[in-house]
Amino acid sequence: MSALIEMKVEEARPTGVRQGLTEEIETTDMALFVRTSDEAMNDWDRQRIVDALIRETYVDLDTAKEIAREVEDLIATSKIRMITAPLIRELVDTKLVERGLEQARKMHTRLGMPLYDVDQLILHPNKENANVPHGPEATNLTLAERIKKEYALLSVFSQEIADAHMRGDLHLHDLGFVDRPYCSGQSLEYIKRFGLSLPNSIAMAKPAKHPEVLLAHMVKFAAALQSHFAGAIGWDSVNLFFAPYLVGMSDRELEQLAQMMIFEFSQQAVARGGQAIFTDLNLYWEVPKHFEDVPAIGPKGEFTGKTYSEYMEESQRFAWALFNVYLEGDGSGRPFFFPKPLVHITEKFFQTPGHADFLDHICEVASEKGNTYFVFDRGETAKISECCRLSFKLEQTDLEDARQPWKMRYCALQNVTLNLPRIAYLSKGDDTQLFSKITEFVEMAVRAHLEKKLFIEKLLSLGEKGPLALLAMDRDGSPYLRMHRATFLIGMVGLNELVQIHTGQEMHQSRQAFKFGLKVIAHMKLLTEKFGQRYGMRFVLEQTPAESTAYRFAKLDLRYHSPKSGHIVKGDISRGEVYYTNSTYLNNSAVLNPIERVRQEGLFHPLIEGGALTHIWLGEARPSKSSLANFVIKTFRQSQNDQIAFSPEFTTCNLCNRTSRGLRTSCAYCGSKDVDGITRITGYFTKISSWNKGKIGELRNRYRNDAFLEQREEGIVLKAG
Amino acid sequence: MAEIKGFLETSFVDWPGKICSVLFLPHCNFRCPYCHNHPLVFSPEQYSSISLKDILNRIQPFKDWIDGVCLTGGEPTLHRDLPFLIEEIRRNGFMVKLDTNGSNPEMLEKLIEARLVDFVSMDVKAPLDPFSYRRSAGLPIDLNSILRSIDILKRGMVEYEFRMTVVPALHRKEDISTLANQLRSGRRLVLQNFNPENPLDPSFKEIPPYDPKVLKEMEREVQGMI
Repeated sequence: MSALIEMKVEEARPTGVRQGLTEEIETTDMALFVRTSDEAMNDWDRQRIVDALIRETYVDLDTAKEIAREVEDLIATSKIRMITAPLIRELVDTKLVERGLEQARKMHTRLGMPLYDVDQLILHPNKENANVPHGPEATNLTLAERIKKEYALLSVFSQEIADAHMRGDLHLHDLGFVDRPYCSGQSLEYIKRFGLSLPNSIAMAKPAKHPEVLLAHMVKFAAALQSHFAGAIGWDSVNLFFAPYLVGMSDRELEQLAQMMIFEFSQQAVARGGQAIFTDLNLYWEVPKHFEDVPAIGPKGEFTGKTYSEYMEESQRFAWALFNVYLEGDGSGRPFFFPKPLVHITEKFFQTPGHADFLDHICEVASEKGNTYFVFDRGETAKISECCRLSFKLEQTDLEDARQPWKMRYCALQNVTLNLPRIAYLSKGDDTQLFSKITEFVEMAVRAHLEKKLFIEKLLSLGEKGPLALLAMDRDGSPYLRMHRATFLIGMVGLNELVQIHTGQEMHQSRQAFKFGLKVIAHMKLLTEKFGQRYGMRFVLEQTPAESTAYRFAKLDLRYHSPKSGHIVKGDISRGEVYYTNSTYLNNSAVLNPIERVRQEGLFHPLIEGGALTHIWLGEARPSKSSLANFVIKTFRQSQNDQIAFSPEFTTCNLCNRTSRGLRTSCAYCGSKDVDGITRITGYFTKISSWNKGKIGELRNRYRNDAFLEQREEGIVLKAG
Repeated sequence: MAEIKGFLETSFVDWPGKICSVLFLPHCNFRCPYCHNHPLVFSPEQYSSISLKDILNRIQPFKDWIDGVCLTGGEPTLHRDLPFLIEEIRRNGFMVKLDTNGSNPEMLEKLIEARLVDFVSMDVKAPLDPFSYRRSAGLPIDLNSILRSIDILKRGMVEYEFRMTVVPALHRKEDISTLANQLRSGRRLVLQNFNPENPLDPSFKEIPPYDPKVLKEMEREVQGMI
């Protein structure tokens, strides 16, 4: 609380000019200066308290005057000569509390942070999101987030929802970004067709003529979008949509362009809050069915007179070049953290010439650097991936949009994650209780979505003059953000622990336990459909990446549901490295071979429309690319799994700047101890030193499909902060 | 029957292009100073044996995924009943890959002629002269057996590769080209980087391995030699 009561006695100027006294004349003559929040030093003026109370709350004039006088007395008797506006406000609030004016006090709340916290924040790195570096921009971001988070919980969401969040029944993601939608999927066609004209920018750029310019537009637009969305920016069919610009380019030129694209996105850590733009590049070897006959847009935003199926060659060469760059890694051989390449594997993929070589190529990248995500679009479904693992099935209306691909802009408005283990603690082993509690929790999430939707609609209704001007801009007959196509995500953490608490077994321990887990998720899916119909909105289940939520829920349950929770949470309680198993995953440490993991976890994927992913932790092993290709094909043909990624581990040396395989305590080349471990945290690669404690706990436990002989534990570098 | 001392259910590493299970057999007649499976060589009794039946029961449900079984060690050809073990695995519908140091050409020939193995990966330790080989294998080696095994493989009755673990302290660049010249096996010679974690000779722990890029370059070079 130090910030609020800090005040300094400064040399008092002779009392004199007092401005703007209205009818209120007989104010105590105090030699008192007030430091206001707009950096002015004003003379004491009681009327200001009255004005604020009348403007911000519903109290009547008499009460306001009375309170102002009481506060003035209080200050006068204390003999202070210099006071800050925040302190006055808090003093007024105590008077409101004394009168039982709870609602008025809430409306009169001041948002802010204690001096001590700000000091800590400026000096120490943020661990909640490993994608936030430490620096002045990052601190700005965190400070702003803190206030917006408080604002959200006080003013955007109802008390009931806010309390549920505080208790940890559910988690409202990205509250610090409450005034933006969550994540989005973009179409390059939009900037190809309309150029780059951002509402707040002075210069308007016409559609690009050259590929490098298109790339510049793409990166700038992504940066603009990053400041309008909380999370990931996904781009659909990047290689195909670039293709009309690439005609006649040599391999060298293509590789140069690919390199520019990847470096531009990976080095955008100078953007919002010093955060890299969380970017997904969706790539196809084939020309996706829904774009085959679509007229292609080329330089100057003009139709080239050809369809996209005629640009297969350029599109494929560009995809190949991108993966050459990924294979190479960055300047010190590390994998690129962003942008993430997602390759869609479809029936048509296997009918497209050259697919076997391309599969080998992307599998080599998976083996060497781990970047590749394999997205499986089986049957006739087409999907677009957006976030960590969020993908959307394209439905009939989308496929009509595909005729005019610039319309293919999607978004998820918010993500709300349920604490599933909490439900199990509360239901005490009773089935009926459990399922009705699940319903209750899902209903809460739905309510949270309704409240957020209302708020965003309010911001959007201000149009191109409002705060979300970019999303309200209208270039093709509808606003950039197509609200009617928005999705509302409901995520889950700790299905494994719910099952464990309720049935006594974890999901990998028995068929029955596993089946029970499926039943829970199926029930949740039904609920989302039911609520979807009721409200005319699209609710879908998502595997929340839950980078910090899995840690937060575990900590809160240790507080509220001890001693039971002490046996349930995963990780190491003595080190404080606790977590719940993410989403519908099986225990990270369970000794399951990758086939079992892919098959079992894949059984959940058809129920989770928001997209799902199975990780295969490789540890130190450097697999044969063709063996991985073999596995990818079998996963497509013989499982229901939606998406897989292979995650190797690396040690990068801060002294000699070389990168070696595996997590080590010292550099394999120069022996230096100044090393950083790198591997996937949830949906992206990052340095382990930036991870939160829960994730560190999980990393220690991850079962790697490694050799059986070695005791690897002591070799693992964990530079926990 | 030969005892099985280790079992890895799935590997993407051991059989190029295949998904395989790996069985580790104990004992070895070489003493390569950089060996990182040496507990299997010196003290296999510290590992409990796993019955083949249990293993086959375990991998049967994954038959659509697992293409075959890789036998490694140790040195599998030291076990005289190896053919029976392999036959049992094959009866269950799995292909078999053999890792060997090439010191038992009779066994190798027998397995190949009986079509019991689908792929052979032979470790070559150094240029094919007694001095170099002895330095890398840690013992005096009868080079004739090695040469015979190489001949048997090069007849092409079975798919094969020669695999060399490259250790900076033992192998200079010229040594690799010398060996490549002697083998004349083109792309079937693959180089593998030395792993300094837990080598048989502890002093090897301090040896930094080649930069993977450099190694890759060397491999490209030797594979280009006919």
